[in-house]
Amino acid sequence: MRRFLPAACLTVCLMAALALAAQELQLPPTVSAGSGFAIATSGSGSATFYLIGPSYTGRREVQLGQEIRVRPQEVRSAGRYLAILRSGGASQSGSFYVVAAKPASLSFLAHPSRIPVGQRGSVIGVAFVFDNWHNLLRRPEDVEFRLATKNAPAAAQSVRTRDGAAWILMNSGSKAGNAQFVAALDGIEQTRVIQQVASDPCHLQIRAERSPRGILVQTAPVRDCSGNPVSDGTVVTFTANGPAGLSTVDVPVKKDIAQVELNIPGPATISVASGVVMGNEVKVGGQP
Amino acid sequence: MKLASVLAVLLVLSVASLAADGPRVQFDTSHIGPRQMEDVTGRNIPRDWGRAWQTLAIAYAQNRPDLLSRYFTGFAQQKLTAGIAAQEKSGVRTRYIDHGHKLAAYFYSPDGGAIELHDTADLEIQVLDGNNLVHSERVTLRYIGLMTPAADHWEVRLLESVPSF
Amino acid sequence: MKLAVLLVLATIALVILGFVFPVHQATTPGIVSGEALPGVGASTNTPEAAVRSLLGDVQARDWNRAYSLLANSNVVPKEAFVHDVSGNYGSLRTFSSLEGSRTRVLNENGDQALVRADMHWSTAVGPIYDVKELKVVQQGGNWKVEWPLEKQPTVPPQVVPVNYLRWDVISRGPEDDWGTQNVDSPRVRIVSMNAVQHGSTLVIVGEVVNEDTVPAFVDINAILIGKNDQNLDQESSFDKIQHTLLPKQVTPYRIDFPGYNLSQVKSVRMDAKAMLVPASADPVIAVLDQHEQTSVLGRKVLSGNLLNESGRIVNIAQVLATYYDSNGKVIWVSDGYVDRALLPQTPEPFAVDMPDSTVGKVQSYRVTVNHYIRQQS
Repeated sequence: MRRFLPAACLTVCLMAALALAAQELQLPPTVSAGSGFAIATSGSGSATFYLIGPSYTGRREVQLGQEIRVRPQEVRSAGRYLAILRSGGASQSGSFYVVAAKPASLSFLAHPSRIPVGQRGSVIGVAFVFDNWHNLLRRPEDVEFRLATKNAPAAAQSVRTRDGAAWILMNSGSKAGNAQFVAALDGIEQTRVIQQVASDPCHLQIRAERSPRGILVQTAPVRDCSGNPVSDGTVVTFTANGPAGLSTVDVPVKKDIAQVELNIPGPATISVASGVVMGNEVKVGGQP
Repeated sequence: MKLASVLAVLLVLSVASLAADGPRVQFDTSHIGPRQMEDVTGRNIPRDWGRAWQTLAIAYAQNRPDLLSRYFTGFAQQKLTAGIAAQEKSGVRTRYIDHGHKLAAYFYSPDGGAIELHDTADLEIQVLDGNNLVHSERVTLRYIGLMTPAADHWEVRLLESVPSF
Repeated sequence: MKLAVLLVLATIALVILGFVFPVHQATTPGIVSGEALPGVGASTNTPEAAVRSLLGDVQARDWNRAYSLLANSNVVPKEAFVHDVSGNYGSLRTFSSLEGSRTRVLNENGDQALVRADMHWSTAVGPIYDVKELKVVQQGGNWKVEWPLEKQPTVPPQVVPVNYLRWDVISRGPEDDWGTQNVDSPRVRIVSMNAVQHGSTLVIVGEVVNEDTVPAFVDINAILIGKNDQNLDQESSFDKIQHTLLPKQVTPYRIDFPGYNLSQVKSVRMDAKAMLVPASADPVIAVLDQHEQTSVLGRKVLSGNLLNESGRIVNIAQVLATYYDSNGKVIWVSDGYVDRALLPQTPEPFAVDMPDSTVGKVQSYRVTVNHYIRQQS
């Protein structure tokens, strides 16, 4: 009896090992993320099953001859998974890939946040498509990009993704205002706001007249070449050349107009500039 | 005292290894688009990719998800952190021995805010249950990576192993 | 143990060496000490001595004693005198001290004399030089100074509405999702750059414009590239620029490289950094009556008046003057701080140097004003 038991154990172990060695792990080549599946095993006895993936590592005891259930929550992250089955010092292994499931979200990068009107190819949109578990969708999908401002027709274009990414260059509109820049796919939308601002001032014009304190100088409504009023706060530089010397003042535009009262009693030539744009000149006589 | 000294040496070595340049990375930008790669970026991307992999290997070997934050961000950091937490819970560790990468830049966004990369990595992967080696393999694996710029380096925002490019 | 003994012996040896071979204190560069001012209670038996005694009291901040040396104390209130000398309204003068001065009797006639005092003030932003020609009169055997107090124009009480634009900034937070838009940095552009040799200093001057519709905090850096493509040096514009630029505003900049020569330099790499910052379009400061003149010291200056058109006090103003040649090229940028506060609606004179190298070449100029307003709690 004493000689029989060790020999019997050894035989059983050897048989289990042989049973394990006689078969390979039946694994699907790819699995959709979050989808459970079963791994068939044969033989008898207990074994240890290891599953190692990008964001999961698990170890449990299983029975040979029964299916090993891989649970959905164990295969959520896309990538390569190792499955290892060990019994009695022998092991079988295999690998499979988890790939992204159906689209569930978009990461939408839009640039810039502010752009002058009338710029060609200056609005950049890049979209990455992900599934519910933030896995990149590599199969081609059609992403629609739309750029729309109030009171202007929207510009739209569909772009097919390559390895999860789609990109587009669009023109800024001719009207200043907030533009809605949208990336959309299968009912999933992400919106960004692009502020379209007036370009450089165009046809800068001033008029000047005598006032009790000196010379009152005022611009005509300051607009860009598309007729958009420049942003409030845009600096306009008034220069007066008079007998006492040169006088300058930087005045911000308020409600489309910049104005200043210069304390200059004598005759003067007034000119105006904003940024690198020059305006007209006006000559004003001395105080009577 | 001896244990403290050994731990101190290990800490210094791990920091020193982090400070080193990481595994060998060959970088190919011949198929990049739509934006062309700048010289400085062309040097920094492979450097930071290598350092990211080096960090990943150390983080997994030592169960230290805190090390990931320097070179990983977003979904990549979340998934790797979850992976390390899971391996710590299960007692099963994965060790990566990095034999180098062939990295190709695939997509560089027009504003320079994101780069998609294809990486062919030569790796040796060991799985240990406690101190017992249960699996070892040397494999060539393909990865898709997404890197985005941080303050002074590039970070890995996405890292997924794929069956083919 | 042996190491500890060695360290103690080395320390003792070094201390001994320090006493035997002391290091002489180098003179502080850039500060002209002038003549030492006399202490409190000095003699006033000559016109020059009276002025020097007054300035000595000012340096010691002994206002009672200084005021007692005025000949026209019946028309100059003490408070006005003290504010005129020591500053008020948080002006640059309030952060200054009289470092030294030189005096010279210009003419003396019986019981009256005219004494020029060149004063050197040490301020928070560097030295400021002030020149006053003081009339000194003899009263009862002592000479006293007639202090030239400028009468400030009285601004009538009024309400000045402030409705100029103000910008605030909200940036994306650290928790925001990747892809969440952030506000872009402002677009600025360097519109001109010119490298000039000024003595032993290589100077880069030019202008930069804020092309955006939001305010920008701007700084300009320059790197000198040598003949072998090596980086020689790097400097920034520091305070020789109007840092906060409103939309479409243009500022000059100047970057100094002491000790470098144009012949060493192959090229200059320029970099304009711009940051989005909160800002206000108020106050508006007019620069009036700009003209070239020669100062009492015989130097060419560009002078004029600053007029604060807002209703609040501008504590410290810095004037930046850009000089252009006949081709419109920037040939020099000079700056100077006004050590008096700009009171609302009240003109305040300024003068900035025109270097000798620019005389005869300047076709036109433009003056801009940097300002600092102390925040109210």
